[in-house]
Amino acid sequence: MRPNLPWLPKRVFALSGAAVLSVSVLAACSSSSSSSTSTSTSSTATSSASSSTPITIGASLSLTGDFSTDGQNYKQGYELWASDVNAHGGLLGHQVVLKILNDASSPTQVVTNYQTLFATDHVNLAFGPFSSLLTTPSEAVAARYGYAFVEGAGGAPAVFNSPANVADHNVFDVSLPIKDEMVPFANYIAGLPPSQRPKTAAYPMADDPFAVPPVQVVQTMLQNLGVKTVYSKIFPEEAADYKAPADQVAASGAQIVVLGSTDVPTVSAFMQAFEQQHYTPKLFIAAAGPDQGTAFTSAVGKGNAVGMMVPNGWYPTYANAASQAMVQEYVSKYGGTASGVSADVAEAYSVGEVMNQAVTATGGTDNAKIIAYLHSGVTLTSVQGPVKFDTLGENSAAAAFVSQWQDGGNAFNQVLPVGEAGSVAIIATKPAWTS
Amino acid sequence: MSEDQIASPKVLSRFGGLTGLRLAGVVVLLAGALAFPVLFPNPVITNYGVFALIFVAVASAWNFFSGFSGYISLGNAVFFGSGAYALGIAARDWHVTGIGVFALLPLSAVVGALIAVPFGLIALRVRRHTFIVITIAVFFIFQLMAYNFSFTGGSTGLDAPFLPWAAQTYNNPFYYIALACAVGAIALSWLIRRSRFGLQLRAIRDDEDRARGLGVRAMRVKLSAFVLSGAVTGLVGGVWFFYLTQVQPPSGFDPLFDLSVVLMAFLGGLGTVSGPVLGALIIEPGQLYLTANTNGYISEILLGSLFLVAVLLMPRGIIPTGSEYLRRLTTRGRAAVPAAVPRAPDQAPAAEVQR
Amino acid sequence: MAREIYQAIVDGILVGGVYALMAVGLTLIFGVLDIINIAQGVMVILGAYLSYELAARLNLDLFLGLLITVPAMFVIGVVIEWAFIRPLRGRERTSMTLLVSYAVALIIEGILYQAFGADDRQLSAWYVTSSVHVFGFYLPYIYLFGFALALVLVAALYALLYRTGFGRSVRATMQDETAARLVGINISRVAAITFGIGVAVTAAGGMVYGATNSFNPNSGYDLISRLLAIIILGGLGSIGGALVASVFMITLESVVDIWQPEWAIVVFYAALVLVLLIRPTGFFGRKAVRAQ
Repeated sequence: MRPNLPWLPKRVFALSGAAVLSVSVLAACSSSSSSSTSTSTSSTATSSASSSTPITIGASLSLTGDFSTDGQNYKQGYELWASDVNAHGGLLGHQVVLKILNDASSPTQVVTNYQTLFATDHVNLAFGPFSSLLTTPSEAVAARYGYAFVEGAGGAPAVFNSPANVADHNVFDVSLPIKDEMVPFANYIAGLPPSQRPKTAAYPMADDPFAVPPVQVVQTMLQNLGVKTVYSKIFPEEAADYKAPADQVAASGAQIVVLGSTDVPTVSAFMQAFEQQHYTPKLFIAAAGPDQGTAFTSAVGKGNAVGMMVPNGWYPTYANAASQAMVQEYVSKYGGTASGVSADVAEAYSVGEVMNQAVTATGGTDNAKIIAYLHSGVTLTSVQGPVKFDTLGENSAAAAFVSQWQDGGNAFNQVLPVGEAGSVAIIATKPAWTS
Repeated sequence: MSEDQIASPKVLSRFGGLTGLRLAGVVVLLAGALAFPVLFPNPVITNYGVFALIFVAVASAWNFFSGFSGYISLGNAVFFGSGAYALGIAARDWHVTGIGVFALLPLSAVVGALIAVPFGLIALRVRRHTFIVITIAVFFIFQLMAYNFSFTGGSTGLDAPFLPWAAQTYNNPFYYIALACAVGAIALSWLIRRSRFGLQLRAIRDDEDRARGLGVRAMRVKLSAFVLSGAVTGLVGGVWFFYLTQVQPPSGFDPLFDLSVVLMAFLGGLGTVSGPVLGALIIEPGQLYLTANTNGYISEILLGSLFLVAVLLMPRGIIPTGSEYLRRLTTRGRAAVPAAVPRAPDQAPAAEVQR
Repeated sequence: MAREIYQAIVDGILVGGVYALMAVGLTLIFGVLDIINIAQGVMVILGAYLSYELAARLNLDLFLGLLITVPAMFVIGVVIEWAFIRPLRGRERTSMTLLVSYAVALIIEGILYQAFGADDRQLSAWYVTSSVHVFGFYLPYIYLFGFALALVLVAALYALLYRTGFGRSVRATMQDETAARLVGINISRVAAITFGIGVAVTAAGGMVYGATNSFNPNSGYDLISRLLAIIILGGLGSIGGALVASVFMITLESVVDIWQPEWAIVVFYAALVLVLLIRPTGFFGRKAVRAQ
């Protein structure tokens, strides 16, 4: 049926608008898809030949979707490492080329991406994606193709206990295993004289395999000490669902709040609700969020950030020469301040460092040798501290610290374990909300 | 075969409605699909094939309910995720490993069908926009149940048993199973379309009250199609789970799943048999490729623009628009197209009798 | 325990007001254009970003900034309707409008990502974190203002619908589009302006949402499912219904949250299904007079 003429012009406008949009966007993306990482050259052999052939490393990251904030940070971390290594002569004399694909936080996409990287691009080595949700299916792909899967963001027990890893032992998480990450905090409470010890505690947890285990460990430890649990609930991980649990925690008046969170919005929502309810806990620790540097302080306000604690294996002022150098480089490349650097960057950077040491030690990019080497009980170094893998690929040498925002929100310092090298005095009572 | 001609006895008398040319075309396509992994052994290509075929099945299943009946469902992910979880729970609790898991696949289909019954009884009592929102609500209920119950693994989800197969050929069995599901869904779709059952569905789409008045058991017809759709979708949900080796609440019950499926069916041609197939074959691999290779944010703008162009440019979908274009080409210079000719006098009395 | 319940009810009413701001536009669009606008969630976020930019660059107070964002979103809405919604017609219109609004949502989201990045943001002002102490409860000012704004907007919309000539055209179109056309009402104009109003009201909702929650370009999807549930419950096309349904559903969820936060949202959707089984047109919806 032929279209009527009067109706035609409007449609044509809409269509041509959409078409122009698509074309211009295609043009834009064809020039921007080769971003700061050079596009990979075609397949190279797994064993290094002449020093002119680059070593390609493939990774899938969440550049859009649910995990986009962290995915983008990881990209920066991987790229920072690559440019550092190349500036110092490369891996075994070969320049490193990163090929990063976007998985949009989707498991279907991440599986497709790693197959593309392994079977079409024939990358020499692989780095992991962001989050345990995406690490489990992709490590199965890596296991099939025999790649060592070094990653920094899949720390949930499910990653190590997955059937693929149990069969092939190819996963290596360079970061702190999450289950016991808050133990230094519980130890601190235990170390306080009973008269000074807080009496009540609240444990709100976001429904995420990353957020729940560490909080539950602390809850058990504190209950054994006689600290009364006045609130302990798991809530859905959705922005609209934070106010109600937060208000209830505020109403409970707990002196300690141990928040199982995975990102900044959760923490800031709780802090905002506490402020609205005129409630300030004496001690407030969150599983994640305060470790995101500027993203955290700009969301909650520097004044409010003071006293907030978070467990981690790294923080920007960590007394480690390589770490300091990395922080300086990051600031000079991306701007901002040292305390504004997100922990994601350090995690990603450590992945690269561990791979560097493995490649150097085994003299090549043979993944089977790398896997064997990493499981040999050797202790490696990274900007996050020592790295030593157990049989399932967890970093058993990672030390758990707890860091706290101090000095008006300008300093992010290690405070626990008390007396540990690098720990400064803890702010024992969170100051009232400012604004 | 246009809709106007479906009721014509002349059309139905041909062998299953397929002329020689079309039959040959179907055979060639099928042969090509079977030979695909042999012709393109690169696992990356077969990977695209697996996901594409999964969505061919899903889109066809969605279409033979929603496309034919006019009840746009945005809750088919319920069946997909339930099928995935069913397989995972069964494999875990019955300690099935390795190839044996494939034998459990029918369970996914059964679970999909069983869930469709109460779901359909509740949802199919309301129409149009209310129906759409009820399907969305049920979808979220299921996603949240997956998070909250411990037998579903909570937010951690479930893992599939590990298959120690070679990487180069790992995808092939999955490809063939997905192909079987897709062919089954297409065949089902085709059978429904040319059957009286399909006619009843379309009568419901055109005007449900009148259809009821003419004696169509609307609830029964709708529910049957819904249950079939649920069974097929559940089945491929199980295949998807086993291939991906895991299911978690946000991936098994993905809010954007149904919208993608609607787009696929629509792009190809809502209510046709081959439309959703074409739509899925274009969109799923296209989306996978585009997301991986573009600077992330641009792909969203691009995707959205392409959708817009598709909907505005081809509102009836590729297949109907394409076949009409072809017909116009082949009848150029001759009399007006048959569709514009009023019905032959001998058909009019039949219509009168029905009234 | 009683205190917790009262707190939950108060919370629910206040937050319900915020959702009402977002839902009212959606139900109006449905009532007149007969489409479900999936892009509404993203438009809330767009409104939030616009408010954010105004506050950051011009240091405008959030509510004052509405004087700019609301007309801006009105224009955006009219353009979208004219360019992308109006050409859609035919039997497949339901799926077409679904897809088109989804496409628009994707494009807007992509543009937001491109312009603002993936970082989470939140609007801030003195009334966001401070609260008034009433009867032993702390009521945050932002929610009170937001609730008041919702009431004002609902009243204004009622005035528009029942006291103006344009409003009469809108009501006529809602009742029976063909008849309205026959009477000489310019349906295209009514549709465009209504869509614009629906989107403009969303700007207000976006500002309050952005002040009470962190948001990033991806935040729209969580919202739209709840908004859809709310408007169906309130009755498609009923503005007062949207307000009542918002407050009711959010309060219900808030109370259930005391016992089990995980099941609170399920209750939300389950309640929707239940109510629809008993009364398919929602609280205040009119009977489906529209032909298929």
